[in-house]
Order: sequence, then C-alpha cells, then structure tokens
Amino acid sequence: MFKKILIANRGEIALRVLYACRELGISSVAVHSEADENALHVRFADETICIGPARPLESYLNVPAIIAAAEVTGADAIHPGYGFLSESGYLGEAAEACGITFIGPPSSVLRLIGNKTEARRVMKQAGLAVLPGTAEPPETLALALKAARKLGYPLILKATAGGGGRGMRIVRQPEELENCWKTAKQEAAVAFGDGSIYLEKYIEAPRHIEFQILADHHGHVVHLGERECSIQRRHQKLVEECPSTVLTERQRRKLGRLVTSAAASVGYRNAGTFEFLMDDQGQFFFLEANARLQVEHPVTEMVTGVDIVKEQICIAAGQRLSFQQKDVNWRGHALECRINAECPETFRPNPGVVRVFNIPGGPGIRLDTAVHADCTIPPYYDSLVAKVIAHGIDRAEAVSRMQRTLGMTVIEGIKTTVPVHLKILADPEFQNGELSTAFMDRFTVV
Amino acid sequence: MANFDEIKEMLDLMDERGLEEFELEREGFRVKLRKRSHAMPSSKSEVVVEKSVADGSGEALAPSEVSVDDGLVKVKSPIVGTFYRSPEPESDPFIEVGSRVKKGEVLCIIEAMKLMNEIDADLAGEIVKIFVENGQAVEYGEVLFAIKPA
Repeated sequence: MFKKILIANRGEIALRVLYACRELGISSVAVHSEADENALHVRFADETICIGPARPLESYLNVPAIIAAAEVTGADAIHPGYGFLSESGYLGEAAEACGITFIGPPSSVLRLIGNKTEARRVMKQAGLAVLPGTAEPPETLALALKAARKLGYPLILKATAGGGGRGMRIVRQPEELENCWKTAKQEAAVAFGDGSIYLEKYIEAPRHIEFQILADHHGHVVHLGERECSIQRRHQKLVEECPSTVLTERQRRKLGRLVTSAAASVGYRNAGTFEFLMDDQGQFFFLEANARLQVEHPVTEMVTGVDIVKEQICIAAGQRLSFQQKDVNWRGHALECRINAECPETFRPNPGVVRVFNIPGGPGIRLDTAVHADCTIPPYYDSLVAKVIAHGIDRAEAVSRMQRTLGMTVIEGIKTTVPVHLKILADPEFQNGELSTAFMDRFTVV
Repeated sequence: MANFDEIKEMLDLMDERGLEEFELEREGFRVKLRKRSHAMPSSKSEVVVEKSVADGSGEALAPSEVSVDDGLVKVKSPIVGTFYRSPEPESDPFIEVGSRVKKGEVLCIIEAMKLMNEIDADLAGEIVKIFVENGQAVEYGEVLFAIKPA
C-alpha cells in the first residue's frame, strides 16, 4: 500500500481524496496554487507545496511542478481527482517514468479513451451500439458537409479532444453547418489545444445514463450500476441520481455486462464511467467514456455502499477487488444537486467571500464541500460550491429529503443556484421521473 | 559584557531598521540576535515578474517574483524543487552572505525532475540573507535570498 499520496487537484474533490487517505492511514501531500493557500484540504493535509500562481496552466495543469512536488516530498502515488490532469496521458506517463503511481488507468488507455473518435471505434468493436457518426474527424468544411449529408439532420459537432460541453454545436439545418463548424473548431482549439471536430447524429431530448465500473490489475472488472444525469444546462450536469427511473433490472444486467467486457477489451484499469444516450425507443447509444473519477460518484456510493475513491487507491496499489459482481447491491435511491456560485437567474459566476454557510445534515444527507463560512471563492476555477446528496428508501423519500435540506440551506455572501434546484425538485415532471436533457430548456430564461 | 539596556537598544535598532539578524563582537564577547523568520514575507510593494512555466531545460530562470521590503529585494523560487547552493556537491557555493552579485549572475540551483535549473539574479547587489538550507525542498514562491540593491 502507498505510504504517501499527492493530491493533484483542489476544492471538494481534493478533500474527498484526503478523506480516503486519512481513513486508509496514508500520508497526504496537498499541492496548491497561491490562490488556495488557505483551502480546507491544504489545512488538513500532512504536507503542502505551493506549485504556482493562481492560473491553472501554471499550477493545477502544470505537470513539471506536480511531478517535482511528488519528488521532493517522496510521494509514491498521485491521485488526479477529476478535471485538470485526471485524463492526461502526459501526467500519467511522467509519473510512470519517475516511478510514481498514477491512480487511474494506464496512460495508453487514457490516450485511447480520451480520443473520442478512437473510443467510439473501439467500443463499437466491443459490441456497444454507437451513435452514427464520422469515423474520422473531417479535416475540411467540404468533407464535413459531405459527412453531414450522409448522416442526416439534426446532428451535433463535437471536439475530438474535448468534453464538458465545449466545442459542441447542434446543427438542425444544413444552412447552419458552416458557421457552427467554424465556431466549434475555434472553441475546441482554445479549450483543448486541438481544433479537430467530429460529427454525430443528434437525438432530440435523450436521457443521459452512465455506468460506473471498477477494474483491478488482476483482470476483474465489475460495474456498480448506472446513474442518470439528464438534468443538464448547456451540457453541464446539475442533478444526478442513482439508479435511473427507466432502467429495468434486465437492462441493467445486460448493459452492465456489455460495459465490463468493453472495458476489459481495452485493458481498462481503475475507475471509469461509460456514458450512454437513451432515445425515446429505449435504445442505448455509447456516447463517451470518462477514464477517471466523476463528480457525481457519491450517488453510486450511497446506493451501493462502495467507497469508490478507496477502491481506486487499493486497485492502484495492486490489490484485488475485494468483491465480485454478485456482491453488488443497490439499496434505495440517491440524488445529488451540484450547488454552484452562480446567479440563479442568469447562471453567471458569482465568486466572492462566503459570510454564512449552513447546509443541514439529518438522515440520509451527505455533503461534499470545501467551502465554509469566511472562505473566499476564487474566480480562477470552476464555480462548484457544494454537492448535496440525499439518500432515501425510494426516490420519493430522496427527493423530499433533498427539498427539506436545500429549503433550510443558508448561504450568504455569494449567490448560489439553490433556488434553481428547488424549482427543479418541485417540478411535477421531475417528480414523476420524466427526465431528458431537454428538461432544463423550460427553466432557462437567458 | 552587554547589559540589559544595551541589548534592548540592539533589539529596538533591529526593529527600526527591519533587520532579521544582528551580531556584535567586542572585547572578547559576542552577542547575536536573530528574529524568528516568518514563512510569509510581508512586503509593502511588490514587483511581479511574469515568467512562463518552468521548462526545466536547465536554462537559467529568473525568480518568479521579487518583492521589495525596507530596501531589500527578496528573491523567490519560480519552481518547485530541491535547493542547492553549489553547482556540484564538492564545489563552493555560488554565493555567500555578503557576496556582491551582478545582474544575471547565478545564485543557486533548483533541481526538479533530475534537471538542474539555475536561478539568476534579477538585479545587481549584495546578498544580505539566505533563507533556505542546502538540500531543502522549496515550493513555488518560497523566499530564497534577500539582496540589497547596488
């Protein structure tokens, strides 16, 4: 087992990894930017190293600084969290070269899965249905137009190297393609350093369903069931839940089997998530795989009782999975609300000093946050303030627990999206489980 | 022997002049007073020198930031690594307290990922204080030296 883990991230996920380190008795190193000197995970880590100024490129995305920090502290493993360098083949390779374990899949798998067109090709070979799309990213507008004619409309343009909703454009009419092509390319080049775009058939109002897997280094792959993340605004997830209201036991078993064998076929190791879109006919199409821990992992943890971060660490340390597929049970229902420091009407970011921060506890409530009263939310990073997770014996109880928790939440000093979540939870369609990625269209004013 | 009043006078002088260390030797006795240095150097005015991310190519690096405090310029580390005072273990240190340095002169080496990065002086002056020990791990922004500008 590792003696010392360097946490290459910040905010609530750095704290989450710190929890696992403490529970496992592993020493922790917090690397941080100058803006995060007083962050909660920095205060509680065993060692801390400032790795750069606030700008992510010079700090949390700075591979040499992170590796140097691991070297000077003698860390034997790095946990990359989510976002930042968590899917970076570069960090994975650099760590491997220095004899430091990267807690995640091997860098070769990261590179494969991180390339969206390659991932689709490989998953198709493994037996997963993929959305019709271009096998290779078209290099010119003319080729894109040709591919679009073949695919038909509506279609979506996506960044080959990307995610998180950037470099994406929905095209409903042929006349829109040229403009969308140009802006998507530019956005992708800026966000991911790679302007290549692929085309994919677009399903109107699909449901977003994803499967969580864990794979050890001894060939065992298990799935922990699905999460539904259909409540999204501009491709950013707002509310996630486990299990999905529409999956039958049979569908779960079938998809679970397909996903675990697809993962095994690419030599997947550690934690990962396979994302699907479900159309109104109940058909599932592979969308993309995320070769890392996901933001919404807590809902799976609440329902299955598995501590995914601890499993990640144990797997990376070479241990066998301590359970088999037949041991995985799903108990009750869990919801997660991502509370952001954004104006609830315009969704514009609202960083600043938090004066009052009180989110109640009580039965079935879990809070993942690094924010507290008198802390400053810096403007340089994402606006996530807290993940509030509610678990209940069934979905109705989980919803009502979430409503009473958010209804009694007091946060002052910054604006947050708590009112938006309360609106979502009170919505009759939401309560009936009638979800799709078009759900938030009704809520968006701007 | 210095009496209590004289020692108090020395302490007051240190505060007035913003000195970290004071040493006095006379008639066979020596007194050395040293202030506990704080991790966070306070500075009234700061000049930030923007430098791109360390490329670790072994080239000379300018310090990440120089801060000015009571006439002394503080040199801070631009990267994470291990601090070395000499080019090689057996050789003499690049500089000592009291050394006069020219602009661009190498002050120390910070090793990161097996690459030796030379940190050079951004200005000419005299080394008044060295804040870190040979072989110590340093973080981004760690104060390394105080230079009295020429």
